[in-house]
Amino acid sequence: MSLDNILNHWSDFRKGSEEGGHHNYEHRWAMAINLDLCNGCNACSIACYSENNIAVVGKERFEKGQAMHWLRIERYWDQPDKVYPEQGASFLPMMCQQCGAATCEPVCPVAATYHTPDGLNAQVYNRCIGSRYCSNNCPFRVRYFNFYSYYESSWPEPMEQQLNPDLTVRDKGVMEKCTFCVQRIRTVKDKAFMEDRKVRDGEMVTACAQACPTSAIVFGDTMDEDSMVSKLWKKHQVERGVYQKTKLAKKNTDLRGYRIFEELNVDPSVMYLERVREDI
Amino acid sequence: MVVNNRLINSNAQHCGLRCGLRGTTLRGATKFGIAGILLMSMILMSSLAMATKYDVVPPSGTHQGEDVEQPIEFPHNIHVKDNGINCMYCHTYARRSKVAGIPPTSKCMGCHKVIATDKPRIQKLTKYWTDKVSPPWKKVHDVPDFVHFTHEKHLKTLVFDREFPVENVKEVCAFCHGEVENMTVAKKVKPLNMGFCVNCHMDNKELGAPGDCWKCHK
Repeated sequence: MSLDNILNHWSDFRKGSEEGGHHNYEHRWAMAINLDLCNGCNACSIACYSENNIAVVGKERFEKGQAMHWLRIERYWDQPDKVYPEQGASFLPMMCQQCGAATCEPVCPVAATYHTPDGLNAQVYNRCIGSRYCSNNCPFRVRYFNFYSYYESSWPEPMEQQLNPDLTVRDKGVMEKCTFCVQRIRTVKDKAFMEDRKVRDGEMVTACAQACPTSAIVFGDTMDEDSMVSKLWKKHQVERGVYQKTKLAKKNTDLRGYRIFEELNVDPSVMYLERVREDI
Repeated sequence: MVVNNRLINSNAQHCGLRCGLRGTTLRGATKFGIAGILLMSMILMSSLAMATKYDVVPPSGTHQGEDVEQPIEFPHNIHVKDNGINCMYCHTYARRSKVAGIPPTSKCMGCHKVIATDKPRIQKLTKYWTDKVSPPWKKVHDVPDFVHFTHEKHLKTLVFDREFPVENVKEVCAFCHGEVENMTVAKKVKPLNMGFCVNCHMDNKELGAPGDCWKCHK
């Protein structure tokens, strides 16, 4: 049944992409991140840690590259030649881009990662055997592997009380990544189902978007024409589907939207709005 | 109207039993009786027609669960079978949350302040109540922590949207919980494993039963 599911969704996408995008999505969750508003405070990252039961690995393992932060803030210097205050720090929150044509999906030997009708890259922890192919095939490096069991070390008593019951605490040997807070999506969809209505825009907010003090992160459904995200995508002329030379085509500097590694043609669901600097 | 109906119905019962014997003396009543039988059968027919807006394929599979020792040997059979109490009268959260819920002791005491107060089980319950301690009920039907299951959505699809008579809800509950009306303390008689869930979801695809992994796995 599940294999059936995966093959159907995958071929659905493939069919759709030739005709300008998938057509049978129930929802198409997406993000718009305004880098001009991001001040690199890391609140999103911390919110993500607490929402998603992510293990804190400690300094040593972090240095070995075994960190588990589903959402990391990447720091760049816009003017690396200059000295600190003028160096031009800019920040970029990086999480799973929930690609439409994800490179992680087809390489999984056990189909633990697959495409949902919501347009998300799902990771089924029970199915994962820890081959790590997906992580090696991810251009964004946003998949994290549980090299250790973190039950005792990461949540010593009484900290296990703060774990979120809506999702699993992953164990050793399992790959994990940002899910666009699928547990919240599930709750919101259940609620809408019980009330016989559609999910409203703004009802579903991810932990990172909720925690962002400058509201740099906007989350929503691009299938809903009137959602904030749809409007932002449209305003900055970023479209779903196949590769468009977004940056090159854009002469208008007001159009700041871009998707990372667009040329790889993976159709990411996260649009970034470029930072504006006066001296550039 | 109510009175008339009752009259007709009582006549119907009366005549159904006796008309054949009494013959002509109760001709008037027989007329009423036939009308009554017709009326009753009409009510029955209509309730049958109303019973299902669409069909559901119930899940299949059995499981030999162990007997669970509860603090009080709660007799489901007396409550459900003998007294006809609806499952959702006590498990009231089933229709509006993920879990069906174990009723608070106050719900038990609502009736058992006056009913069967001489029985040892009720006296034990009353002691819990007066001591202000909740009985340490044990969970019988449990799914693993990585499973997202909601009672409310299942009830909405299988009962309320289907216009299934709510008074017969125990038939729907029995899909996954077995015939609890014939048990004392509830016992796990259905496997409640992935195959059990998935097969039922595949059989009832038309009702919108999802087949997506992430609908249940969390």
